[in-house]
Amino acid sequence: MNKRSRGGAILWRTIASAAVLASLLLLFGFAYAVSDILRPPALVLGTEPPLAGQQPQLGAKEELKIVAIGDSLTKGTGDATGEGYVRRVVAGLSQKLGNRVKLVNNVAINGLRTDQLIDKLQQDAGMQYALKQADLILFTIGGNDLSKLAQTALRTDSGTADFGAEEIGNQLSDGLGRLDQVFQLVNRANPDARVVYVGLYNPFYPIPELRSGSLQVQKWNDKAYELSFSYPNMKLVPIFDLFEDEAGTYLASDRFHPNSEGYAHIAERIVQMLH
Amino acid sequence: MATDTQRSNRSDAAVLSVEGLRKRIKGKWIIHEVSFDVRPGEIFGFLGPNGSGKTTTIRMLVDLIKPTGGKVMIGGYNVQKQPEQALRHVGCIVENPEVYPYLSGWENLDHFARMQPGIGQDRIQEVVDIVGMDQRIHDKVKTYSLGMRQRLGIAQALLARPKLLILDEPTNGLDPKGIKELREFVRMLASQGMSLFISSHLLSEIQLMCDRVAIINGGRVLAVGTVSELIDENASYVLWQVDRREQAVALLSGLQEVTLLGQGEHGIEDAVLTAIPDAIITTVAPGAIPGIVQKLVAGGIGVEAVQKVSPTLEELFLKLTEGEGIV
Amino acid sequence: MSNLLPLIQNETLKIWKKKRFFVILFILAILIPIFTYAQMRMAENNKDKFTDWRSQLIQQIADYQNALTSDRIPEEWKQYRRIMVQQLTYYLENDVDPSAPNAVTFTRGFMNNAVTLFIPLLVLAIGSDLISGERSSGTIKMLLTRPVRRWKILLSKLVALIFYISLTIISTLILCYAISGVFFGYGGWKLPVFTGFIINGAEVDTSGVHAVPHWLYILMQAGLAWFSAVIVGLLAMMVSVLVRSTAASIVTMMATIIAGTILSNMAAAWDSAKYIFSVNLQLTSYLEGAPPPIEGMTMLFSVGVLAVWGLIALIISFGVFTKQDILN
Repeated sequence: MNKRSRGGAILWRTIASAAVLASLLLLFGFAYAVSDILRPPALVLGTEPPLAGQQPQLGAKEELKIVAIGDSLTKGTGDATGEGYVRRVVAGLSQKLGNRVKLVNNVAINGLRTDQLIDKLQQDAGMQYALKQADLILFTIGGNDLSKLAQTALRTDSGTADFGAEEIGNQLSDGLGRLDQVFQLVNRANPDARVVYVGLYNPFYPIPELRSGSLQVQKWNDKAYELSFSYPNMKLVPIFDLFEDEAGTYLASDRFHPNSEGYAHIAERIVQMLH
Repeated sequence: MATDTQRSNRSDAAVLSVEGLRKRIKGKWIIHEVSFDVRPGEIFGFLGPNGSGKTTTIRMLVDLIKPTGGKVMIGGYNVQKQPEQALRHVGCIVENPEVYPYLSGWENLDHFARMQPGIGQDRIQEVVDIVGMDQRIHDKVKTYSLGMRQRLGIAQALLARPKLLILDEPTNGLDPKGIKELREFVRMLASQGMSLFISSHLLSEIQLMCDRVAIINGGRVLAVGTVSELIDENASYVLWQVDRREQAVALLSGLQEVTLLGQGEHGIEDAVLTAIPDAIITTVAPGAIPGIVQKLVAGGIGVEAVQKVSPTLEELFLKLTEGEGIV
Repeated sequence: MSNLLPLIQNETLKIWKKKRFFVILFILAILIPIFTYAQMRMAENNKDKFTDWRSQLIQQIADYQNALTSDRIPEEWKQYRRIMVQQLTYYLENDVDPSAPNAVTFTRGFMNNAVTLFIPLLVLAIGSDLISGERSSGTIKMLLTRPVRRWKILLSKLVALIFYISLTIISTLILCYAISGVFFGYGGWKLPVFTGFIINGAEVDTSGVHAVPHWLYILMQAGLAWFSAVIVGLLAMMVSVLVRSTAASIVTMMATIIAGTILSNMAAAWDSAKYIFSVNLQLTSYLEGAPPPIEGMTMLFSVGVLAVWGLIALIISFGVFTKQDILN
């Protein structure tokens, strides 16, 4: 009898202490949540420990992995089909080589400039990781650097004369310096991958006042070829000639990016030079 | 209604004192006027048909219903104002003995014991022994019979060593043996000094069990008094069985203290009459029976049986209301 | 307090012996494996589609960043995307797969979905029976004729109810974690979760966004769910005082809760619906930064509305119960 009633007392004590503990815990959670919403602590992202996990190793290369980085050209802006040159290269290569070709990532971002790409290459763990996996890296960069130059040039033509060729020349060589850095960083990120750098073109060729921009573009491409030449696994694919007609046949409606036909030709050239 | 003489009988030491209790529910007066006292150690009957306001009154005694007017004092404390003190010395079973079916009998007692300080495990064992439930006290209540639940209910009511035990229709659902046991049990408790308040709609039960009785109908107490005053003498029929019926009728009709009743003038149940079809039905003034028997015998009439028969409750009410002029 | 404790003991033991809490545990033990299985199937499906979650994450980041360069996207949206980029980058840098189900993320997801309907229903299993159960069994007559003030009886019942609400929520957490961990692994406690989004109309104020470890996030979530559940419990108690039968009391409460869920899905235009308690139950979504059902609702608003409902329920419960005539 007494045993039974003592059993009841133990049951009660167990339930009560568990319940009180649970209630206090939940009450704390509630209070914390409310105070957290009321007085949120500052963002602490920066102080978190950096990259901790080890990067996974690449598997056996039974398939060709492609990673594309760079600006709107790689992104495929202007292509009504949304394919861009990257997807067309994937399709073309798998047809040509007859093995599996996979686009792992296309992390191109509209409007990216060399300085921003350098930042990303240096700091963006995601980009690092993507590049590491690649067997083939496709990239475009510099177009936005140069179009900034073109805008400067336009301004120069329409008034202030003191902003001359010298200034443009300086900016160009700055940009090329950064391109050098990009090449180095890409190579460092994955020295084994084949890298294709797609050269620049002058989208303003149809505009007579800006036609001379082609000369700056050519200087860029020249230097870029020189830079790429020092890396045995890097190739430059020139495409400037495709866009040098008055009608702008291969330009999209924004008169700046290639249209789908233009992208198709770019892809064609890349596929041609890859074996 | 309590008369002045009854009021003067009220002892100051009343365990339960009810004064001018009234209750209105949804604009309707359910209880008009209820007053009575229960003295220490007495078995007090509360008699009334179903719907007379018995249950409502009992619920007001134990604070289940708040009265519209009047007051209930238990052990000197006002139930409405100081329920904790007043109810400390009351045990009650209102209607059925409701206990938790999913607990064992012991757990039920433990539950109610915890609601009051000073009731230990020893006391629980004591009340279990009193009601004789030792065998199955640790079984779940849902396996109990009604009789066992009744016992458990009483055990629960006794836990706090109450001075007053309120039982509402305690014999409901019990078999004759159970009723007999209950009666003995009630007597036993009363002999130990406990006051009992027992409600019933059965006249016979109150007659057998109680010392005093309050009769309630239509939300009013019609009378309060000893059982013999109110029931035995005031309202009983006397049935005569004699060998020479005609002579006897003639003789009896000549007596002042006897009223002869014809068919339809009495409320005796047919079942009683079929057993003695030739009985002479009368009412007799209190204490007159021995004299009348002598007169019958002197008149050469052989008296085979004289039987007192209780009237139905309705009739008792009728009598009481006639006698005291209450509408 | 000294004589309140045995009363609480009574009520706690009664609920226990009535096996209500076992029913709750049983329901949880049946449902959680089902959800775990569903989640597992989903994870397997995803695995087929994307071989590498990192590539997936990288692509997602690039997509967000491209959206950021677009002029057509309003600044508020960009802000949100910036946060998302930050968050995804964080996962990438710490090498944690945010979509990989683990026991902790499963628990978090379950809790978040359970708070509006499932947990309130479990609470009703106990709360709706609180008074009406005693009344339909008639035991209330025994309970209230003891020398104990009625408010103490009700208070002890309320405390017991809160006990079981707490136990229910903790059990939900434990069962979720234990069961789903068998399939997904038990890790993930330190995974950062972002919180602190404040949504004002169409704008997301992300100035307060910050990362908290997963365990703390779950604790916050559970605390908010607990608050919601206690309010539901208070209302259930009120209905239980007012309505005679347990069934009627459960149906009444269920109807209002389900109505609230439906309303919060469709009544964005009906502004004053935000004062209905059941529309405010999903406090946990404020932690996630999900848009509220009706514009202008914030966590503080919802907590306030719920608190007012709870207070009214308390006043009515105690007011009625202490004066009520027990007629049957």
